[in-house]
Amino acid sequence: MRRTFVLLGCSILLWTILTQVNDAIAPWRVYLFGGALFVGFSALTQPRGPGLAASLLAGLVCDATTPVAFGTHLLLFAATHLIIAHVRHRIPRDDAIAGIVVVLLANLGLFLVFSFTQIHESPAPAAVWPRLIADLACSQVLLAGLTPWFFRLQARALVLARVPRYELT
Amino acid sequence: MPSHRSDSSRPFVTLAVIAVAWLLVPTAVKTFTRATFFELTAPVTLAASRVRDLQDFWSLRLHSHTDLIEAGRDVARLNSSYELAVQQNTELQAEVGRLESLLRLPSYTEYRYEHARVARREFSGWWQRIIIRKGANFGIPSGAPVVFTGGVVGRVSEVRAASAVVELISSPEVRLAGVIEGDSRPISFQGGVNPTFAPPTGVVEFMPLDIIVTPSSPKRLVTSGFGGVFPPGLTLGTVTRAAIGTDGLFQSGEVQLDARLGSLTEVTVLVPVAIP
Repeated sequence: MRRTFVLLGCSILLWTILTQVNDAIAPWRVYLFGGALFVGFSALTQPRGPGLAASLLAGLVCDATTPVAFGTHLLLFAATHLIIAHVRHRIPRDDAIAGIVVVLLANLGLFLVFSFTQIHESPAPAAVWPRLIADLACSQVLLAGLTPWFFRLQARALVLARVPRYELT
Repeated sequence: MPSHRSDSSRPFVTLAVIAVAWLLVPTAVKTFTRATFFELTAPVTLAASRVRDLQDFWSLRLHSHTDLIEAGRDVARLNSSYELAVQQNTELQAEVGRLESLLRLPSYTEYRYEHARVARREFSGWWQRIIIRKGANFGIPSGAPVVFTGGVVGRVSEVRAASAVVELISSPEVRLAGVIEGDSRPISFQGGVNPTFAPPTGVVEFMPLDIIVTPSSPKRLVTSGFGGVFPPGLTLGTVTRAAIGTDGLFQSGEVQLDARLGSLTEVTVLVPVAIP
């Protein structure tokens, strides 16, 4: 339980950073999406139950603060978490580059699926894609820089909360 | 082999269980959970907004006395011109009241002006909205129109304890009835595509064929007042381009919205006042 709440606290911190950055860059019509970062660390390094719970709670935080059907982020984060967790034994968990690659690929998938669920409201869905691609490119650049720091932050927060390190079997 | 197969299908089974469990959760529980998680993050949003205000305050404190004197002089000039406008407005309102009683017309909705600071802005390709620092605690109702000096901002889509979410008119979910200034025929307006590094846009449909709009002679689009949510005459944007639609009966066009929509710091909510 403590592990889940520590990870949720880190997710709320990440949500705060992303929303404040998005607020600051709103005048330029750029939006950063970092969905995969909420899931990456939990899916790669944490036990299945508490890790999945942390991802689901992060999904609920994102759902509550965006105008989407409640549960959209929850289900997308759950799917991403389960896919990453399923292949994590093939990924070097302590390698920063591997973590970045996993997060970037997961974010690309999440962004595309999320876009397909949202653009039907637009009067010209095809015309929205250049904007979405620009947002995706900016988001990926931000995530490449933010992932090592956020992974370290979560690992450090778990140590400070005296949560025992989980070893993959 | 069977255990390997069951292991590979495990994530999909787990996902299916989560999806089914989520679908079975009653709507009331989902609504409560949504409100709970929103209120969990609301203090973060409001605190960050107040910290920004404090930063602005201290940066303004660095201005010289000469700057302050000049700003005060400018404000005094603006005030004098506004006082004149207020007097004229009072006379016009009295005239409208007299005409309404003579012609037995229904009165326009009256509004209370609730000024609110913007706590957070979101300008994504999927939606555009702002969070303001006033909510149910100031009697802000859901659906209330929100305006600023440049015209319509949007409408309140969600009201929480101490904050409210405003959907901007550039958002594709927003649809309004507008009219071209000087014309009385209603036109459908919808938020449109918002390209990166460019002003927000919207689209108009069902525009009569006799309204000629070109980039060199744009037309101002204002609220029609139909539907009773937005008062008439508020600026929505400028129709810059129009072309005959596929049915050949009406035109469709592009509306340039105010570029300041993405950098708003203060807005006014028009709260309808119940007439006794």
